[in-house]
This record gives sequence, C-alpha cells and structure tokens, in this order.
Amino acid sequence: MTFRAAYAAHFYFMAAIKTEKITYRKPGFWQRLRTGNLNDTQLGLLLLAPALITLFVVMLYPVLNVFWQSLRGEHLLRPWLGSPFVGLEHFQKILWGRNMVWDLQNLLSWRILGIATLLPLWWFAARGVLKRWTALAWTLTILVVFGFLLGLHPGDSGRWGDARFWNSFNITLLIIVLSVAGSFLVGLPMALLANITSPLRWLVRLAMLLPWAMPRVFTGLTFAWLFQSDYGVLNDLLARAGVNNLLQGVLEPNLIGAQGILWLSRVVPAIIAVNITIIWKTSSFVGLILLAGLQSIDKSLYEAATVDGANAWQRFWSITLPMLRPAIAVALIFRTLTAIQTFDIPYAMTRGAPGRSLETLGLYIYNTIQASNIGYAAALSVVLFALSLGITILYLRWIYTE
Amino acid sequence: MSRQSPFTARLFTNIGLILLIVAGLFPAIWLILTSFKLDGELVRLPITYWPDAATLSNYVQVFERNPFARFLLNSFVVSLGATLICVLFAALAGYALARLRIPGRRLILTGIVMTSMFPALVLLVPLYRLFVGAEIPGLGISTPNLLNTYWALIIPYVALSLPIATLILTSFFQLIPEDLESAAMVDGSSRTGALFRIVAPLSAPGMVTAGIIVFVNSWNEFLLALTFNTSLMMRTVPVGITFYQGEYAFPWAIISAAVTVGIVPLVALILFFQQRIISGLTAGGVKG
Repeated sequence: MTFRAAYAAHFYFMAAIKTEKITYRKPGFWQRLRTGNLNDTQLGLLLLAPALITLFVVMLYPVLNVFWQSLRGEHLLRPWLGSPFVGLEHFQKILWGRNMVWDLQNLLSWRILGIATLLPLWWFAARGVLKRWTALAWTLTILVVFGFLLGLHPGDSGRWGDARFWNSFNITLLIIVLSVAGSFLVGLPMALLANITSPLRWLVRLAMLLPWAMPRVFTGLTFAWLFQSDYGVLNDLLARAGVNNLLQGVLEPNLIGAQGILWLSRVVPAIIAVNITIIWKTSSFVGLILLAGLQSIDKSLYEAATVDGANAWQRFWSITLPMLRPAIAVALIFRTLTAIQTFDIPYAMTRGAPGRSLETLGLYIYNTIQASNIGYAAALSVVLFALSLGITILYLRWIYTE
Repeated sequence: MSRQSPFTARLFTNIGLILLIVAGLFPAIWLILTSFKLDGELVRLPITYWPDAATLSNYVQVFERNPFARFLLNSFVVSLGATLICVLFAALAGYALARLRIPGRRLILTGIVMTSMFPALVLLVPLYRLFVGAEIPGLGISTPNLLNTYWALIIPYVALSLPIATLILTSFFQLIPEDLESAAMVDGSSRTGALFRIVAPLSAPGMVTAGIIVFVNSWNEFLLALTFNTSLMMRTVPVGITFYQGEYAFPWAIISAAVTVGIVPLVALILFFQQRIISGLTAGGVKG
C-alpha cells in the first residue's frame, strides 16, 4: 500500500467515524472481565453461576425427575418391563382405597370433633379476628388431621389401597405434632436460661451445642442404649425413684418387663422414646433461634414495664412472647420441615420396629427403594414433597398475615 | 436482673441451669462411661454407674472389627471437600446478592433459601440414577459412575448446605461497610480487585462460621451416605457405626466407643468456635 493510499484511507476512516458509519467494537466480555469493567448484572450472574448451577443440577432437576418417575412403573426386580407409563396409578393406590365406605361410628366421631374445632374458627373469621383465607387454610389442615387421625383412617382393615402408607403417614404426623411441640416447650425455657449471664454460661452453651452437633444416628444409638429395657440407665433411675413399682399396677402388664418399661419393644413406649430422643436432639436448635430473638428485644421495654409495676410473669406474657413471634415462626418452620423427613433416629433406634409402628414416611420410602420399587418410591416422594410444600405455604401465610 | 431478684427466683434459675446442663450432657457422659466398661459389666444387674475395671479394649475393638480409621478419613475428606466448595460458591453468590444491583436479587435469594425445604429423601432416587452414570442422549458420551467415590457425597452435600451458607454469607456481606470498597475503587482498584483485596479478608470470620455449619451438616448426613457409598472402604462414620450392631447382638460397649471417637471432632469444633456457631445458626435462622 502506498503512502498516498494510506493517507487517503486515514481520512476516510476519520470521516466514517464522524458520521458513525464504522464504530469501534466494544471490548468483549472476557476483556472487560480481565479489566474489571463488567456491569453489575454480568458480574452478578458470573458470581451466582456456580451456586445456581449446583442447585439446578442437584436439587431442582431431581425434584422434576421424581415427578416424572412417579408416573412410571419402574421396578428393578422386573427389568424386562422397563419403565412403562402408568399415569396416576401410584397415586390412586396411595391416596384411595378399594371400598371407601366409612362406618357410621367413625363418620360421626369425625364430624363431631371437626365441627367442635371448626365452629369457633369460623366464628372468629366472621367477627373479623381472623382473615378468611387463614381460616380456610386452617380448616383444610384440621380436616386432614382429624380426618386421618380420628375418623377416615380405617387402620389395617384393608380398605385403603396402601395401608402401610397411611400407617407411616400417621406416625409421621404424630412425630411432627409431638416433637415440634415438645422441642418448643423445652427450647423456650432453654433460651431464657441461656440468656442469663452466669459463671456456668460456657457449660450451658456446650450443653446446647452438643445435641445440635451430634449426628442424628449417634443420638439414636446413644438413646437406644439409655432406653434399653434390661440394662439401660433410664429404667434403673426410674426403679431407684420408685416409679417402676408405681407403674406396675397402672400400666398394662405386657408393657413392663423384669427391669421396667419395655421401651423399644412395645408400640406406645417406643413412640414416646423416639419422640424424647428427637426432642433432645432438636430443642437446642429451637433454643438457639429463640435466644437470638431474645437478645434482639429492646431492654428499655422491660424497664418501662417494671416501672409500671409489671411482675416477671406479666413481662414475659406481654413483652417477651409477642416480641419473640418472628423467631418462634422461623423455629417452627425449620422444625416442622425436618420432622416431616424423620428418618435417621427411628432407623438407628429400632429400624421402624416394633412391627411397622415406627416406620415413618421417610423410612417407608427408603424401604420401598430397597425393595427396588423405584416408581412407587418416587410417587411416595412426591407426596412427601407436597406435604412439606403445603406446610411451608401454610406457615408463610400465617407469618405474612399476622 | 439477678441482683434484685428474690432468693426463690435465683433458686429456680439455678435449678433450671443445672437441669439443662445435666440433660444436655448426660447422654454423652453415659456414652463415655459405657465405652470404658467390659462386656460382662454391661449385662450385670444391678447396673454400675462408674466402670469397675476401666478398659480401653473397646476402642481397640472399634478399629479391629471395621476399618474405622478409613471411615474417619472418608468423613474428613467428604466433609472438608464439601465445606471448601460450598463456602466458595456461597461466598461468590452471597457477595453478588448483598452488593450488586441485579434485577430480582431478592427473588433469587428467596429461591435459593426455598430449596432448603426440599427433602433429601426426594433427591435419593434421581441422584442415584444420575450418579450411576448413563449415556447422554445425542452426544455419544456417558457420565461417569460416581457411586462409591467421594464425589457422590461431596456434590449433594454442597447443594444441601448451599442455602444456609448463602444466607449466612449474604447477611455477613451486608454488614461490611460499602464505603471501604468504594474507597478502594476510587484509589484505582477495580471491582474484582476490591473484592479480593478488601472484602475477602474482612469476610473471613463469616466464611469460618458458614464453613463450620456446612462441615457439621456434612459430617452428620446419613441417608445419602448409606445409599450412595455401599462398599465397606467408602463408608462414612455415621454409616459405618450402624454396621457394628449385628442381626441380634448389640455390642453396646464397642458402639459407645465408636460414637465417642466419632463425636470428638465435633466437640472440638464446638469448644473452639462456640460463639461463631451460635451467631451463624441464628443469622441463618432469624433472616430466613
């Protein structure tokens, strides 16, 4: 290229830039990344990418996959069938039965109890104390709980397509109610005590953090040994306190062995033992959340109340509890969601024994997978997922409306 | 408060404190006492509280009956790996969510936190399928079989702890004053430069907090470890311990010794990082 041509080209380019015929290419993505000139959205997406990709692949994809698998009848012991599309057959088997005629007694008791709890609820709703939607949500919950716990569930009479599912559903519901309520009742005083400055504070904290950090399996094994009916320390302590002799006449004789209550080999004691174990393991978590709630309460509120002559009990009811409400809600949500998935502790303590009385929903799903019935296990997982989703939505409604 | 309160109130408080400490620590103490007893002493009536003849044979048995050292190593590798990856991912995401003006960032945070309610049980079947390894349709390549490798546990543990770690680190980054960063940028440092020179060192405590919680979560996980890593040499501690009990026999002394060894790292963590764990747990809890 001659000098003249280059000279002419220079002027041509200058003119072209002025008239915006040619624009310089903007620096590319990687160049701007190197020089640190990305805008917020680009940098943000770049930083969020690893976390979001992990969550998509490991959490979201499996959930969608489970929904899909639940419609197919894969069974690893019958590989020649492949995984045929069966539609909602699994759900029909889980949620419905062969002969759904309720007997009159069950129906009556269910109706009476339902009406007895629903009437005040709707009375409050009509008076405007409760929001309509809240009342409706609680109505549904009560119907489900009363329906399955008291009336609708006919036990092993075989009317349900899958009585084993309803058994596991009931025990899971029972564990949710007992252990969440229990861990809250233990966790609240725990938080109040841990809030006090005392020379033993570090020991209190250790006593609260140890149950939290202890693996659930270890907890289950430890408590299985404590509850052991012949050589367990609990029965020994009960015997020393004289409780054993007291119980001898009161309890049914088949619940009591030579050394005391047969904790893990009879149904009702086993349910109590497992719940106590779960409460020991989880109440410290509730306590820690409530402790944080306590520490965020403005101290001047208490001083004002004391000046006005309120005693400790009144201060607790009218300041501490209302101010703790958000922390209580959070603790309850977390606890309920973990209680739905109860698996480790019953597995470690009794593997669901005696019989199948402690087979929670989680254990049932695990056993179904072990029995190679993959499609059915997926359908059960969908039910579990729907249950936790429903409970979360219910709680969130409760938080946001009040 | 305690200065003015009457004697009975103080008495009740102290009784409550002692009750709390005893109830919290007694199972662990009983476990340790049991682990020093001989088998014969365990099945003798009346039961003894203090071991008659303290013995270390149970601890020897723990390592002889099963490759317990290997279980410990597996647990350490899996938990540490999951912790490092999870905290890295969560720190990046947390910084983006706390500082950058991204459209819909509250929605993204809510979405991430909501995934923590997905039951691990639901993930069991699809993740098993994913980890078995299968040919990707159309590409002609297949994913590796991850079962009985450390990755089969590290990957789900990262995902399971990501929500809580992201939450902790997001709220932690929000506490670091933004002025520090803008000052660095005015001084000629780029945004990424400011991130690595100013924000990363300041956020180290938050990362430690999140890391401990991820570590404890991963160390404790049982269901996925039980299902994905079935070969003896790849078991983690919680799974390995359940294999000491036979079909009918429960060697309680050995199980107690194994559990005692298994909780030593956790107790050490608690003793060193008490305050941090509490602040981390509650930061996650109160915000969520």
